[in-house]
Amino acid sequence: MFAAKEKERPPKRSFAYIKNKIYRDRLYYLMFLPVAVMTILFYYLPMVGIRFAFYEYTPFKKEFVGLDNFKELFFGVMSKNFWRAFNNTLFLSIVNLILATIISVVLALLLNDLKSRKIRGGIQTILYLPHFMSWVVVSSIFLIILSPQGGFINNILGFFGTEPIYFMANKKWWVPVYLFICRWKDTGWGTIIYLAALTGLNPELYEAAEIDGAGKFKQALYVTLPGLMTTIITVFVLNLGKVLNIFESVFVLGNDQVKEVSDVISVMAYRIGMKGADYGMGTAIGLFKSVVGLVLVLITDEINKKIRGSSLL
Amino acid sequence: MNTKHRVFASLASVALLASLLSACGKSSDSSSSSSSESSSGTSSSSSAASSESDSVKKPESIKLMVDGTFLLKENGQDIIEKGYEDLYGIDLIINQPAHNEYYEKVDLAFTTGDIPDVLILDNRRYTSYAYNGALYDITDLYEKSEIKNNITDQGLIDAIRLDGRLYGIPGSRGNGTITYVRGDWMKKLGLQAPKNYDEFINMLRKFKNENPSGLAPNEVIPITAAGLVNTEYPLDIYLREFYWTATPDFVKRDGKWVDGMTQDDMKQALQRMHDAYAEGLIDPEIITNKTSTCRDKFNAGKVGAFNYWAGTWNLNLYNNTVPNVPDVEVTPIPSIKETYYIERPAVAVCITSACKNPEGVFKYFLSTLADGKEGQQLWTVGVEGKTYQKEADGSLTFMPTIQDPTKPFTKTWFEPTLLITKWAPNMKYDERITNSLSMFQSNMKIYPLPPYSKALSDYGSELNSIKAQYIANIVFGDYSVEDGIAAYQKEAASYVESILSELNG
Amino acid sequence: MMSEKMSFKAGYRSRTVFRLCNGVFMALIVLVVMIPLLKVLSDSLDKTTRYGINLWPQHFSIDAYKTIFTNKNLYTPFLISVLTTVVGTVLGLLITTFGAYVLNQPTLIGRKFFSKFIFITMIFNGGLVPTFLVLKGLGLTNTLGAVLLPASVNVFNMVLMRNFFSQIPNSLFESAEIDGCSPIRIFGQIVLPLSLPALASIGLFFAVQFWNEYFNYVMYITDTNLYNFQVKLRELVLNDQNMMDPSVVGFGNMVKNAAVIVAMLPFLFVYPFAQRYFISGVTLGAVKE
Repeated sequence: MFAAKEKERPPKRSFAYIKNKIYRDRLYYLMFLPVAVMTILFYYLPMVGIRFAFYEYTPFKKEFVGLDNFKELFFGVMSKNFWRAFNNTLFLSIVNLILATIISVVLALLLNDLKSRKIRGGIQTILYLPHFMSWVVVSSIFLIILSPQGGFINNILGFFGTEPIYFMANKKWWVPVYLFICRWKDTGWGTIIYLAALTGLNPELYEAAEIDGAGKFKQALYVTLPGLMTTIITVFVLNLGKVLNIFESVFVLGNDQVKEVSDVISVMAYRIGMKGADYGMGTAIGLFKSVVGLVLVLITDEINKKIRGSSLL
Repeated sequence: MNTKHRVFASLASVALLASLLSACGKSSDSSSSSSSESSSGTSSSSSAASSESDSVKKPESIKLMVDGTFLLKENGQDIIEKGYEDLYGIDLIINQPAHNEYYEKVDLAFTTGDIPDVLILDNRRYTSYAYNGALYDITDLYEKSEIKNNITDQGLIDAIRLDGRLYGIPGSRGNGTITYVRGDWMKKLGLQAPKNYDEFINMLRKFKNENPSGLAPNEVIPITAAGLVNTEYPLDIYLREFYWTATPDFVKRDGKWVDGMTQDDMKQALQRMHDAYAEGLIDPEIITNKTSTCRDKFNAGKVGAFNYWAGTWNLNLYNNTVPNVPDVEVTPIPSIKETYYIERPAVAVCITSACKNPEGVFKYFLSTLADGKEGQQLWTVGVEGKTYQKEADGSLTFMPTIQDPTKPFTKTWFEPTLLITKWAPNMKYDERITNSLSMFQSNMKIYPLPPYSKALSDYGSELNSIKAQYIANIVFGDYSVEDGIAAYQKEAASYVESILSELNG
Repeated sequence: MMSEKMSFKAGYRSRTVFRLCNGVFMALIVLVVMIPLLKVLSDSLDKTTRYGINLWPQHFSIDAYKTIFTNKNLYTPFLISVLTTVVGTVLGLLITTFGAYVLNQPTLIGRKFFSKFIFITMIFNGGLVPTFLVLKGLGLTNTLGAVLLPASVNVFNMVLMRNFFSQIPNSLFESAEIDGCSPIRIFGQIVLPLSLPALASIGLFFAVQFWNEYFNYVMYITDTNLYNFQVKLRELVLNDQNMMDPSVVGFGNMVKNAAVIVAMLPFLFVYPFAQRYFISGVTLGAVKE
């Protein structure tokens, strides 16, 4: 029946067809209008400011300097700090993203397996509470917990005869500790989207799998995971676009002693662009982050397209 | 539904158009105005000198930008606003951003053209704003004014002169940190206040090894601080007993600017800190300490010595520790002979070069900060019956705050104990406050303002972050002092070169 | 659908073992998450300030909570938080569902363009100063609009929402279209009711985003009467942490910790509420009808 209807229409790509189609879909465009207007107002208009990446822009000066800011960053006096920060950012945030995805998905599966809705809700509520603590508070608590002077963890280690470890100021320990604190804070929160997605899965698939004699593990592997894949990939790719943005967690958890591994681009941008009011350089760093984010997203989306045949963008 | 959407659509597009136009107009106009202001900054001072002081026009309103040291809005700021209007008939418009983002908002204000008439600036910003022509030169106005005679110590004013010119006046001293020691521990151990480094280290050792409070041996923290280097200017304000004359900052030696980090005295200071840290005399967690963690540790009775603000904090530290350690004594000690305490140049109250009537603002606002009468009364204790009251003996006491009625006000803007004038409100203070202040003031040197160069403002924060990293690495024993400084020199060479060539060129 | 009881009958044994392990594992995770939270809770109820991990108050007192809910300077920000969160969430969901629905129309001309048009804003942004100037030009600085409006367009949420919409079987739309339903009716009567789990979770995302916001307040609003609870909380914490000037009056440790707890409190109740909509099989039931 649909096919028949299609035949009556003018051929695709013809002007008449397009006009006709746009007219038929006018309500969709109308619905999109508020979205478009707000996007233009609050996101595209300020983007005019991206040009300041090519300016020397401070409270006292606004002068076009071409590529000077980028030359300075990539090859100039600050380049060594910049590239170190760049490497740290990529490492910390991609490892963090991968861990976040795996742990959140696994936890969502385990939570979903709890039969009592009340218990599940209770656990889930507790697990997502740390997300509502600001990073400043989180860092002050963990500094005490991880303290080498009678901190909780070191007391336990001391029980087994280990010398106290100053986790936060130890270059080897800082990265795992940082990743752990990030997971502590945001894992429960990260499961929500997967729990919501799980509700969209077809229960018949489970029943069929069960009849086929698939155990819990196989069900998870062959039914649940494929069903969650779209959500997992979407969340992953979107987060990849923001991969260079990690800021507050590192800002409050890092310190002078571990700067080699903890200094990241956003913290550098904050020091220069906000504290130093060098808005031109701040914007240049921001633009660099955006371009890297864009490249990462385009690459992963391309891979995604090849494998699954659909694009996110 | 359809019509509703159309209405919305048309409204939205009108709004969009209007905003496009207005946004463009605003941004271009602000940039042009700020550039013209900066060029006029230097010329305006000459016109000021020629004008007669009698013919000064009274401003109708003054826009003031202040941080959280000024009485907060929720704590009765309008009392002060009203008090000012009652005294001078001028509408005071106060812009008080969140305390921790004050300087970001100041930068933003100057960038977007929302410039106040008067604002307060810390040392670094004061220097850079003045050199960029954003501040009005008040030298001549000050020299002719009455307030010059009211100010007791001209050294405090000279400390904020740049090439002899003055761009603001302080409302109170910059103050600094003094070393507080657990006096009860000293007594128990039969110790006198240490006079030199060896005695100081000996005291810390005894705190650690003889734990006078009966704490577990690894619980005693002989000396703590909120970091090996300060995050603000000056960098070497803590751990004075270890720094001596050294500073990691740029410093003028024999008439030439040098990188303090690579000087011999800094290397020796690093060696001292390294040795003391390795011996467990310095708080193991010094690198992750905030000032709040130091205070908490001190209040818990675990800390032997702690370098912290002179004056009111002596009393505060005592009051907060007493519930945990009933026989605590918080005793300030004079600086050991190898070193001195540091007083920061005062935070300056400045008139911007964007101000339309700088003479008027000087006369009716800046002068009131040191007038020795009702102006200073307002800026320190406030308004009678609202923030303070007169006692039977004529002395003044603060009333309970609006925010928390269990606590009295402590000031309205400037601390009464830190004034720079002969005048001071007739108040009684705990002797801990006055004691630690006078001890501090007889053991301190006023730190010079930071130098200004473009390279320094471009690279200063990055370079300081490198310095802090190497200082931490050396003190924690990742490098020997020589190796660490060599590695630092290698990494920082390009920064240091470009900054020094500007400072010395 | 699956009738399973705790049983050691053959076939169920491995499942039961798994259940037990899962339970123990969950208990462990809950414990790890709880300890730091308990520390804050205990400190908020303890009159004496102590240093270290204390999971039980020494001198019990609820004064700090009384202060928060009776002191105008603390409960007004709380009310602002509640207000902006509710309004922001509704606004955000409106914009998000509209956008996601349109982006989910496979045959719509310009869909790809719209999709990229929206996506670019997630990657690129103009930075602080230009955003400030635009908001100022629109007259939004120093109003709650500066906090509510820009943040209600959230690309991340929109793409997720589209993702959920795309899982609704196409046959539903086709039959509705044949019945002559307008896109807006399909949206209101089919798409939204079928997307309750998505609406609940993305609504929650928005709620949290608006609840936790502080940066936009501090940067775009100068009137401190418009600040929300997070800004206040941050001030309490930071002023205490870096206090140089003894006269930046603080409320003290207890109130600080109590404020951290109060900032989490509403969401103790929000999640169970949102969870009610995480019902599986909604979509499918509709198809069968």
